[in-house]
Amino acid sequence: MNLSDPIAYLSLMVFLPALGALVLAFFPRGREDAIKFTALGFTIFTFMLTLGMLMEDAGGVNFEAGAAEMQNLFSAAWIPSFGIQYLMGLDGISFPLVVLTAFLSVLAMVASWPITKHVKAYCILFLLLETGMIGVFMALDFFLFYVFWEVMLLPMYFLIGVWGGPRKEYAAIKFFLYTLVGSVLMLIAILMLYFNSDLTLLNSQQLADAGIFAVAAEGGNPQTVEQAYQAWLASDDDTARRFQEIQAETNPARRRQLHTFNILALQQMGQLENSPFSQNVWLGRSIQWWAFLLLLIGFIIKVPSVPLHTWLPDAHVEAPTPISMILAGVLLKMGGYGIIRICYPICPAAAYELAYVVCGIGVVSMVWGAFAALAQNDFKRMVAYSSVSHMGYVVLGLGVWSLGMWTAGPGGSATYNADYWKMGVTGAMYQMIAHGISSAGMFFCVGVLYDRVHHRNLNEFGGIFGRMPVYAGMAVAIFFAGLGLPGLCGFIGEVFVVLSVWKYSQLLAVVSAAVVILTAGYILWAIQRVYLGAEYRGPHGEALTPMTVREMAVAIPLVVFAIVFGVYPPSLLNYMQPSIDRQVETLAAWTERYDADREALQNTLNNDQEQVAAK
Amino acid sequence: MDASALPTLLAIAWLTPLASFTVIVLLGKSLGPHGKYAGYISVGAILVSTVMSLVALFGAWLPNHPLADASHHGASYEAGAHGSSSPNAHSGDSHADGRAADAHAADAHAADEAHESEKPAYYGDWYALGQWGKLKLTIGYYIDALTVTMFSMVSLIAACVHVYALGYMHDELHDPYVDHEVHVHDGGHLHRPGRFHRFFQYLSLFSFSMLGLVIAGNVAMVFVFWELVGICSYFLIGFYIERQSASNAANKAFITNRVGDFGMLIGMMALWASLGTFAFGDLTTPDGQTELGIFSRLRTAENDHRLVPPPEMVAEGERTFASTETTGDGGSNAGHWLLFIAGVGIFCGCVGKSAQFPLHVWLPDAMEGPTPVSALVHSATMVAAGVYLVGRFYPAFSPEALLVIAVVGCITLTIAATIAITAVDIKRVLAYSTVSQLGYMMLSLGLGGWAAGLFHLVTHAFFKSLLFLCSGSVIHAVHSNDMREMGGLRRKMPITAYTMLVGCLAIIGAGIPLTAFGLSGYYSKDAIVEQAWSFAETNKGAYWLLLAMPVVGAAMTAFYMFRLWYMTFAGKPRNHHRYDHAHESPAVMTRPLLLLAFFAIAVGWTVPLTNLSVTNLLHQAEPAGIAATSHGVLLPSLTVPAEALSHAPEIKFKAGLAAFGAAMTGLLAATVIYLWNTLNPAEIRQTFQPVYRLLWNKWYFDELYSAALIRPTMALGRRIAAFDRAVIDELIHGLAWLSRGVSKVFGVLFDQTVVDGTVNTFADWTWDFGLLLRRLQTGSVRQYVLFIVAGTLVLFVAVSTVQWLAYS
Repeated sequence: MNLSDPIAYLSLMVFLPALGALVLAFFPRGREDAIKFTALGFTIFTFMLTLGMLMEDAGGVNFEAGAAEMQNLFSAAWIPSFGIQYLMGLDGISFPLVVLTAFLSVLAMVASWPITKHVKAYCILFLLLETGMIGVFMALDFFLFYVFWEVMLLPMYFLIGVWGGPRKEYAAIKFFLYTLVGSVLMLIAILMLYFNSDLTLLNSQQLADAGIFAVAAEGGNPQTVEQAYQAWLASDDDTARRFQEIQAETNPARRRQLHTFNILALQQMGQLENSPFSQNVWLGRSIQWWAFLLLLIGFIIKVPSVPLHTWLPDAHVEAPTPISMILAGVLLKMGGYGIIRICYPICPAAAYELAYVVCGIGVVSMVWGAFAALAQNDFKRMVAYSSVSHMGYVVLGLGVWSLGMWTAGPGGSATYNADYWKMGVTGAMYQMIAHGISSAGMFFCVGVLYDRVHHRNLNEFGGIFGRMPVYAGMAVAIFFAGLGLPGLCGFIGEVFVVLSVWKYSQLLAVVSAAVVILTAGYILWAIQRVYLGAEYRGPHGEALTPMTVREMAVAIPLVVFAIVFGVYPPSLLNYMQPSIDRQVETLAAWTERYDADREALQNTLNNDQEQVAAK
Repeated sequence: MDASALPTLLAIAWLTPLASFTVIVLLGKSLGPHGKYAGYISVGAILVSTVMSLVALFGAWLPNHPLADASHHGASYEAGAHGSSSPNAHSGDSHADGRAADAHAADAHAADEAHESEKPAYYGDWYALGQWGKLKLTIGYYIDALTVTMFSMVSLIAACVHVYALGYMHDELHDPYVDHEVHVHDGGHLHRPGRFHRFFQYLSLFSFSMLGLVIAGNVAMVFVFWELVGICSYFLIGFYIERQSASNAANKAFITNRVGDFGMLIGMMALWASLGTFAFGDLTTPDGQTELGIFSRLRTAENDHRLVPPPEMVAEGERTFASTETTGDGGSNAGHWLLFIAGVGIFCGCVGKSAQFPLHVWLPDAMEGPTPVSALVHSATMVAAGVYLVGRFYPAFSPEALLVIAVVGCITLTIAATIAITAVDIKRVLAYSTVSQLGYMMLSLGLGGWAAGLFHLVTHAFFKSLLFLCSGSVIHAVHSNDMREMGGLRRKMPITAYTMLVGCLAIIGAGIPLTAFGLSGYYSKDAIVEQAWSFAETNKGAYWLLLAMPVVGAAMTAFYMFRLWYMTFAGKPRNHHRYDHAHESPAVMTRPLLLLAFFAIAVGWTVPLTNLSVTNLLHQAEPAGIAATSHGVLLPSLTVPAEALSHAPEIKFKAGLAAFGAAMTGLLAATVIYLWNTLNPAEIRQTFQPVYRLLWNKWYFDELYSAALIRPTMALGRRIAAFDRAVIDELIHGLAWLSRGVSKVFGVLFDQTVVDGTVNTFADWTWDFGLLLRRLQTGSVRQYVLFIVAGTLVLFVAVSTVQWLAYS
């Protein structure tokens, strides 16, 4: 296997955990430590593969910082008769999330050591889950994306439902049904988009960008796009053959469409001037309006945003610690990822129209989650609600479609300046990574205590600082990262988002700024009730032993990254920023065309009315 | 030393405490016996900072920027007032030549003389937190005379406090340390390991954060360190984490500050959306372009450095307020409104940090922290950060925003002074005194007295840290904070008593009236009263209250400070047990007291034979354009008089006498009541029972906030959580129930009739067919063979027929 080929390297990244699951299936029962170490080994190896992309000359493929476009894009026919490709690639938006996933999987596996029930099944499901998660972030074919999305769902259901707490069945079914509803809505939207897509609307450059055919970039004589295009047409590729057939059809009435699931191609189509998704279907709304709405609901269930968030506290409270870490650290990010990768670029007109709804959902979630967190007495529930609040920043930041159109240009003209918008999206992306670290850390900290005293009642803690000083110190650092303290990772994302919002809406900006008070309130109050105080008066006080080496191996990396990302954001932004800028600039340019068209249309209408009135 | 060394010197001064913090965090208790060396590391780090700051001041700043006599008690008031037309010099690192400050070019009008000067400042970026097009959030520095002064002041006081803390926190070296204020479940006191190293770890982190706040080159970086000093304060107030009162106070401090930060964020957003920059200074990029900072954008040289909202701000303001209301000169005032929001927003942050009304409630509670912390964090430095930021951000405050600042300062100084009169906890008296003095600074800044306010910041830092360390020495000796249990202690601890007397005299502004001789507070407080006088004379009307309150406040200050001193050190011991055990503190604690006492006396003086004085240094940092008289736009009747006008002899005369008279009145009243015992305090309390109760309960702010804010917030939180459970979840359950119901109905209607019916029908048919077949089932093998053959034949014919049909 040639690892310098993206198809091999990326496939290995995705399927290595699944391979691990397969290997584990042949392990005899009773060898629990061996099973755990093997599973850990597979997660570590997967993580090393993701890191290997950062290193040049590591033998594999590279991820280049500073490049905006999709990297290591490859495609292979999968189900050609429906235009389904095995298409994957990475850019600055997905790559950090993949690394985060692999990283948290390692830590969560280490945190899984206390699991003693059906260890083999647990590890198998855990590894399948990892394959699903990494696959979701790398898939660029909508069908493939959906498959990974569902692959992730089932292991999660069992991991909560079998290894969970007292009300695990309820929580698991709730999680499953919520997510399933989201999946179904997403499937409808996918089919709507698929049946209205048409590859033949794209030119050769767009097709190349979408990975429909590959342009051989290396070698002595680099191919031009046009050459590659011609070579593709001349090939016996099934899609190419049908592409030519349809193009050759001169009678518009008999002309068919070449449907595709290719997300990159769908993005191109969505942003075309005469987008195939702009036709009205129902209630005077266009296809993309409905698709956007369905996709958005699907994704904000995952985020989760108010009012579709109530599965999260239950799922977290019942899930075992490592699964909570994965759930908060990675699964919630898929919602945000879906919005930025799918909703916005494929359905820009709908997104533009509904931007305020998206931002509003974000702000409401921020406030709602913070208030609800203030009222919780269950430590884990409190942290779960803090996730609702913190993920609200993500939705808000993604939504700020502010183009600074009010910035006075020379001569009083309006200019489309997307800088504030870029800032908001950057903040949202940063917040996703930061929250991945801080929330996983917070759930782990809760788990460390729960493993010892077997309860999570905030009112029965106290005095932990005296009993477990090292643990308490790290826990406080992680909680402060969640609080958004400068110098720790939570601050950067929050401040980027909050500062960018005013340009879009002053009202939302003021409300979102107010959340800093509530956040400080619930986090400090929790710290006070758990870690401070004279002595621990709850049950099982004798079990409060100092942190073990294994537990430190989980906590220390989280603390270190919380500090690094808080102090020096370029460490992450160098990879993320170019792709974000590119996407926002593309959409800003699209908006400019769109507004100009609408203005022209409005002018025509006005002129008509004036003429009618004149008559 | 070349001026270009300044960023490096100050960066070393700034980062050394961070290194100390890191070392102590990682090694902690293993540093010497019980972590004792942690203290030395921390002290060493802050001494390095102090030396570096002083080298920066005397070695790099002053040689390159010679001081002019910008006249504090001098007579050049005529030379004050109109906007100077010189550019704000600077930037980059290379060419600030710093021609300072004393060319007074005469203007046509007598009182409107231009203050021709170039204000040297150095601005640069270290790295960017994020960058989007022209928008840039950076970590950088802005160094001018104010920065250098603050660095010296902060590091010097911090060094004194660090050394003092080596002695004061000595108990924490014991293992186990017994905390007598905490009872555990078996009825005894709490025994815990000593936390000497933790204390110094936090002190180092605090020093780092505070110096970072001062060196910050932009508002965003100020906000970063703003929060960091907040969290250090949280750790230090809550240092005795086992005490419920301490952790409550720590939470209260941080959350109250966050309320202020909420306003500050709004101010920052307004600026960010309209100007797109947070930078204080102008930056020349390597490719030769100039990026203008906030101040240069708001006060351009073309406008004579007057505050005029630039077009982008007007546009953003118009969008924000959807208003096109016009001012007298035909322009829109939306830009001014936005400027007002930005100014008041930033000031909200300062209200939180500097404990101004209505967010002053946290500071007295913050006295739960160890006393060195109270001295360093809650009197001299962190709480001064708010005043510092107002001073730093001054060019961007519109006259209306300044009025808000003045009014808030005025209310604060009055309320806090009244509460201090009745308090009996020695540290709380000082805490309210701090709040009150911070109010003076805000008032001064708000009335246009930029230099006076910041001067008071510096003098107050010295004498208030002195006062706090003295009170710490007393508490260390008698193990109580309650002044009712003290008395007569001057005989037991003379150094503490007389250094504290110096502090008291300094804070009440003791000096020889109408001369240039007095303790440090004399200069700064008189300057504030002079500015208030000048403001009141210019504006008339109800603005006279802004003069009356500080004068009355001066009387109250003298009263409560001497009440404190008399109750503690004079008279007869009220608690003999505590008196007998009292002793003077060790040298490690008293030497910092002596040093600070020296500064409390002398920091206001001009070094003989030179122009070196804090005022002159501050005048060197006075931003371009703020020396001029300015007029309100939204409030046209408002005039903020130039600071130089307050140096007019007739104002100086009246203000000086008023301030002196007020202080003497307060001093006399305290002496009559608490030293000579001519009047009985208990009788006075009885006579003014309702007033006394109001003051004793601190004007009921805590109760009000609890009832109006905290409890409703918690209730709303519970409602929202309940809504999730009772409404959203129940809705989900309802849906689940409904779909189960629907499937049941389907079960009955569809499955049982249609599906089951079909199946049953088939079953019936099968049954009937079976019955039919049974008749054929005769048991005869021959018959069976016959059927098989016939069946095969039928099948063969059928298949052949279909094939024939298909292919024909």
